[in-house]
Amino acid sequence: MKEEKKQKKKEPKTTTPSVSPPQAFLVHLVCGLGLAAPLWVAHNLFSLTLVSDPSSTLRLIWVVKTVVMILVYSSFRQNPEQCSYSRAVGRGILALPVGALVSALGAMALGAPVGSQYLAKTINWSLFMSSLTVICARGFCIWLIMDRLATDICTYQVRPNGALEYMICIPAHGAIIGGWLGAWPMPLDWERPWQEWPICVTYGAIMGYLVSTIASFGFVVAHRRHRLKGD
Amino acid sequence: MEGRWWRRWYPWVILVVHVLAILIFTRGFLLTRTDLPFYSHCSDISQSPCSFSENCRDANDTASAASCWTKPAADRLVIIVLDALRIDFVAPSSFYQEKKPWMDRLTVLQNLASTRRSSAKIFKAIADPPTTSLQRLKGLTTGGLPTFIDVGNSFGAPAIVEDNLIHQLVQNGKRVVMMGDDTWTQLFPNHFNKSYPYPSFNVKDLHTVDNGCIEHLLPSLYEEDWDVLIAHFLGVDHAGHIFGVDSVPMVEKLDQYNRVLQHVIEVLESQSGPGGLHENTLLLVMGDHGQTLNGDHGGGGAEEVETSIFAMSFKEPPLSIPSGLDTSFCKVDSDGKEICISNMEQLDFAVTVSALLGIPFPFGSIGRVNAELYALGAGTWNLEGTGMGNRDAPKLEHWLLNYAKVLCINSWQVKRYIDVYSASSVIGFSFEDLLHVSDKYFQAEESWKHTTKNSLLHREGSYHSMLPSVTRQIDAFVNFLSYVSELARSKWTEFNLKMMGIGIGTMLLSIFIILFAIRRVNRPHGTFLPFGGDSGISFEVMSAFLVVAIRACSFLSNSYILEEGKVASFLLATTGIINLRHAVMKRKMLFEATSFLLLIFILRLTIEVGMSKQAATSLFMNASSSWMTGIAPGHPVWRLMTEIGPILALFLLGYLLYRTTIACSSSWGIWEFSTMGTFSSFLLIAVHWGSESNLQQLAILLQGIGKGYIPIIVYATGLGQLLLMTFGQLFSEAIDYKRSLVMKTVAVLGACSSTIIILSGKQGSLIALALIIGGYCIIRLGNIEDDVVDRANGILTFNPLAVTQWNLLAVCLFFATGHWFDEFVLVRQALLLTIDTFGFSLILPVLGLPLLALSQYFIGRTDNGKDSFLKQMSQVWGLFAPKFVFDAVGLVLTDVCICLASLFYSGRLVDATQQNQMTGK
Repeated sequence: MKEEKKQKKKEPKTTTPSVSPPQAFLVHLVCGLGLAAPLWVAHNLFSLTLVSDPSSTLRLIWVVKTVVMILVYSSFRQNPEQCSYSRAVGRGILALPVGALVSALGAMALGAPVGSQYLAKTINWSLFMSSLTVICARGFCIWLIMDRLATDICTYQVRPNGALEYMICIPAHGAIIGGWLGAWPMPLDWERPWQEWPICVTYGAIMGYLVSTIASFGFVVAHRRHRLKGD
Repeated sequence: MEGRWWRRWYPWVILVVHVLAILIFTRGFLLTRTDLPFYSHCSDISQSPCSFSENCRDANDTASAASCWTKPAADRLVIIVLDALRIDFVAPSSFYQEKKPWMDRLTVLQNLASTRRSSAKIFKAIADPPTTSLQRLKGLTTGGLPTFIDVGNSFGAPAIVEDNLIHQLVQNGKRVVMMGDDTWTQLFPNHFNKSYPYPSFNVKDLHTVDNGCIEHLLPSLYEEDWDVLIAHFLGVDHAGHIFGVDSVPMVEKLDQYNRVLQHVIEVLESQSGPGGLHENTLLLVMGDHGQTLNGDHGGGGAEEVETSIFAMSFKEPPLSIPSGLDTSFCKVDSDGKEICISNMEQLDFAVTVSALLGIPFPFGSIGRVNAELYALGAGTWNLEGTGMGNRDAPKLEHWLLNYAKVLCINSWQVKRYIDVYSASSVIGFSFEDLLHVSDKYFQAEESWKHTTKNSLLHREGSYHSMLPSVTRQIDAFVNFLSYVSELARSKWTEFNLKMMGIGIGTMLLSIFIILFAIRRVNRPHGTFLPFGGDSGISFEVMSAFLVVAIRACSFLSNSYILEEGKVASFLLATTGIINLRHAVMKRKMLFEATSFLLLIFILRLTIEVGMSKQAATSLFMNASSSWMTGIAPGHPVWRLMTEIGPILALFLLGYLLYRTTIACSSSWGIWEFSTMGTFSSFLLIAVHWGSESNLQQLAILLQGIGKGYIPIIVYATGLGQLLLMTFGQLFSEAIDYKRSLVMKTVAVLGACSSTIIILSGKQGSLIALALIIGGYCIIRLGNIEDDVVDRANGILTFNPLAVTQWNLLAVCLFFATGHWFDEFVLVRQALLLTIDTFGFSLILPVLGLPLLALSQYFIGRTDNGKDSFLKQMSQVWGLFAPKFVFDAVGLVLTDVCICLASLFYSGRLVDATQQNQMTGK
């Protein structure tokens, strides 16, 4: 791995750190656990569910998930020399509220209820969305501000081409699309408690995230194979 | 040349096809039964072949014949309606597999039905869907099937205009007292002698209506000033809606009813002696419809349509009806009591009650006098009537003869209705059906003549020989009546799938015509084709079609139709986010994308406010006041904002108009002149609003200028402008095509907008501003892919996403102005707004218009398709119909607009575009 990274370093433009399939699998597993563990903990230790108390459950999830995501992905840096581990972590934490703000505004434009009784839910939900997309969001906002000068790990591109970009961007997009789809049962007149904002959107986002995580692993494997063939 | 001709006529062809498709579909979908304004009268009976005097045998009968159609069997009637009374609330649990908590609660009814089997009966009544209280009350009183388009209902005042039971009661001097559900007073505003209505609106309130009923019901039973008493209890319905059937409140409600009924029956019983107040009183305890275990009703499910009628006479009828007429089904209780349940149709209720009370049957009733219910009244006159013998048989025969006569009148009345109906209604019955009906009727009538003759012959002789012929006679009438009701049911309550299929097919055809038209129009100058064109299917095209498809699918569910405004804004926001992503990617037009999203956000809030206006509970207002606490509604700043805001927006509009005029026009022509007219209109509107405002000093200042004239002047100006432009169109010569197109568009918009703005009130200018901003953003964002250099030409290229967005924006605006599709009060305004939104859509190039229309048609088409899918769903009745009507109107209007627009703009289109191409080369 290290040799490969160093080799890559020599070509300045394609400095995407390479990720092997087992590595990707491990990362995805950790990320998936980062999502599943707080859900399990909330359910079994605090007897919280999304339906009964969405705010607290979401808070628990996003805190754990953010920590896991930032810690894991900060070890993949484009320029490990220029950008130390701690700095990457700091940037990740900075990106969290920005991503939350973007997702909250997006949700409100799409029709999330506005009102004081929904404030806590909306804040926690947007932080949760931000935690799912945090790495992507980080790349996104830094790119936005510094115009691709950011010497950060995720150069946000239209078409991801490196394995790492697949790993970062596909789950993030999947979470957003899943959340979007998750909003669809809301107007139905089934009168189930989970149709409330933001419960089914959260479910949708989690589903989308998990599905696209698997998909991105598939992409990584395919990408790897393709590159091996190319070599 | 040929192509040009075609191009001109495409819109018209499409318009014609659409109108055709809609007409065909409407014939299949809208179950139109026309309300006839005819009423039955006492004197009508002389026209019937069932004259009384021929077979009546004593003076008593002739005396009562003078009164009306049938011999009255009951003097007073107590109708207790328990809303949403499921059959298993009344029927004993032995009829069901297992005993549920809500069963066997109305024990007083069950006991009476088992101990006094001949004078108290439980019926299982089958209601016709839709099983909502209003529709059922209509059905119960008119004895007809529900009309599909309840135009009266949609327009707010649901008073029944058809002949009905209550009307007949009032006409014939019966005094009616009503208490409970205020739906009755809505349906019959001037019919009741006394009424104690209670609001049925608040579903969460289980007790107000019931307590009010109980409070007035028991004292009223001692009064003499009524003949018919109606008490409508709502508690069970509300308990079902809130808690469901299997719940404690439901059981409590039923227990409460049991006590009330016990009390009522005790009072009636105590007064039922000879000469008593309730000597000839009939008690009916009935439900108007059933409910599901969740407490829902409205559809045609078995649980919803099966309700119950409990009927009790306080005089023992002297006979039991022959088994041929008896539909009862008995079971032995766990206590060894035997309880029977008979069957009847709710359709038969009106006519049976009319027959019992001796009043004319409602004109439009197609029910049949129910033998078992009618027999309950026999106790009141049969005893005195027959001095013949003390055996049962003559009594029975006498009764049967009388029943046959009632059926004869019944058949005559139904036949008369069918005849009058098919003569006066556009969509009547088919010729064969009518022939069959007449055939059956004449058969029955013929044998009736025979029977009456026989009865005269046999007057002095033995009655036994007559029994079979009378029974046969009854069968003949029953046969006729049930045939008619079956026929009516199939004609009036079932959709005509073939017609609907043809309608949808025609709609599809129109889409192909449009596709073809787009191809034809595009071919000469090889612009981008949206389908399988040279540039392939881009992301934009895909997302546009996805959005259209989702919107179309959303019409498949009534929940989404109810939330259409929100769904549209959701989709619009989605496209806005896609745009934003693009913009961020390309790092240009970020401002437009963001402001577009902001606009959607504001629209979305407005839509929610608009929706909450619908729900009188106005939950949103409560919610919103908490986050708008900074500016309370009464605060002067807030007031100032609502006063000044629209006027400011108006000036902004004027400024924009001025700028475009300056930018586009080189010289002053007709168009520029007409724009001046718009300016003056705007100014007048501003003055008008100023004079209406609450700001005193301003109002006084402007009071002098007769404000009544301002709207008239504005309308006149708008009309004048339009005329001027038509005039100008005929004589003008365009030098620069593009310039003149823009100028024309602006002028037309200006001409229309002033009228529309003043019509839609103060929100008008704000909405118009929103529309212009939205349109500007959409056009700019639509061109995001194009070169900036080519922006001048950009207006003539179109992209499907932009068109879809445009369409969605129009929908959002429609809802943002507080419209709601089943609120027809604002028809005129809504139509004008539709004109407005589609009128504005002319900003898009003429080439883009067909595609805008196309997306509209997609929606329109699936809309119709959806209706056929949901054939079974009876919510269709209340919900989809107005929607359908509205969409159809919108579609036709769009077509008309397109046609006019094409006439207006396309004059030199071909030359100009060719010219453009030449210069481009």
